[in-house]
Amino acid sequence: MIKIEHLRKEYPNATPLKDVCVEINKDDVITIIGPSGTGKSTLIRCLNQLDPPTSGKVWVDGECITDKNCDISKIRRKMGMVFQSFNLFNHMTIIENIMAAPVDLLKKSSQQAYDDGMELLRTVGLAEKAFNYPDELSGGQKQRVAIARTLAMEPEIVLFDEPTSALDPEMVGEVEAVIRDLAKKGLTMMIVTHDMRFAREVSNRVFYMDEGGVYEDGTPQQIFDDPQKENTKRFIKRIKIFEKLITSRDFDFIKFNNDLDEFARKNLVPKKSLYRLRTVFEELCTQIIIPELEKDFVLSFQAEYSQKEETVTAAIRYSGKEFNPMDSGNFLSVSLAENASESICHSYSGEDEFTNTVTVKVK
Amino acid sequence: MNIEKTQNAAELEIKVRGRLDTATAPQLEAELKESLSGIEKLILDFAELDYLSSAGLRVLLSAQKTMNKQGEMVVRGINETIAEIFEVTGFCDILTIE
Repeated sequence: MIKIEHLRKEYPNATPLKDVCVEINKDDVITIIGPSGTGKSTLIRCLNQLDPPTSGKVWVDGECITDKNCDISKIRRKMGMVFQSFNLFNHMTIIENIMAAPVDLLKKSSQQAYDDGMELLRTVGLAEKAFNYPDELSGGQKQRVAIARTLAMEPEIVLFDEPTSALDPEMVGEVEAVIRDLAKKGLTMMIVTHDMRFAREVSNRVFYMDEGGVYEDGTPQQIFDDPQKENTKRFIKRIKIFEKLITSRDFDFIKFNNDLDEFARKNLVPKKSLYRLRTVFEELCTQIIIPELEKDFVLSFQAEYSQKEETVTAAIRYSGKEFNPMDSGNFLSVSLAENASESICHSYSGEDEFTNTVTVKVK
Repeated sequence: MNIEKTQNAAELEIKVRGRLDTATAPQLEAELKESLSGIEKLILDFAELDYLSSAGLRVLLSAQKTMNKQGEMVVRGINETIAEIFEVTGFCDILTIE
């Protein structure tokens, strides 16, 4: 139905889409998830040419819509779009909002547009509000009207750009219920969302977007229960990463600790875990490993906090000959590090850039 | 870290606030070296000590050795986390904790 080939979108300061290649089949309900700034909204805006792509091709039913000669208004009729912020005409009643485009663009008679519009309002549960004005409706009701208005154009695919993110939490459910019904009826949809529970329920495919493209594409079970690629795993388990490279014995210890505090504060790492992570770094890195390393060393300290599982792990990697800090004989530091950890494992591989790796599961 | 000293004849009380770690332990060490002459009782108030590492423990050990020769040393006001550190390192057997 839709084929996207090497789609790229550049802005003066950013390139959210570098190279997107995917196919969307008829009846697909695709949710698009991923961290902020990874081009989720940009992708659907490029699809209906609200934001023309910098390069690449989009084919809809065999027609190349990125071609200059393509009749884009005809294509937009096939692709409805529901925005975060409803975009209803405030000076028109609800039913007028819904009738406007079918009368103007599909050349329907007013009676036909009215009958169809009322039917759609019944579908979204708002027939009794047909003669009200948008200002008289709640946010959730406005979004349901916006969905009905999009459907009035009889689109073949509907693109939703974070349809519930501007709503108060108590109104999210009613809008999601409408979208769920549409999915059951077999409407092809692409939905940008931050709501993982909704994404899992409603879609048959999930696009996890990262690194300028569709980083991983799979069923909800694959993406949420068994993600294959590293960034997807981190995102799904809500893993937050703190990473520092240390290349001198005189590194800024105070700044390191302040940065670690800031990371913990921002990601809600529990105080006790932060204390133990700090102990692991100070005792293993500062007290034992760094004094042992040769002059031109590189030590990488990476801590991962899983917000979902509330666990902290740390990986300390460093160059040089094989050296296990737990065999250092520094009784005091070893016992403090051990007390802060569930496990500490050292491994050595002569072939890697960082020959030594110490993996710590923080208590 | 912040250090506050109160001296009453041969009794010295030192209140340590914040973190006693690799970066700050030398500061406490210098402070003690300067102040312990003639002191017969040293009280370390750790009620507002948030963090203690091995670097801090070494300073405590050295102070304890000095005070063994000239009087006594007491550590006061420790929280649960600091108590755990004294426990796992065996410092609870070396120090007098009130």
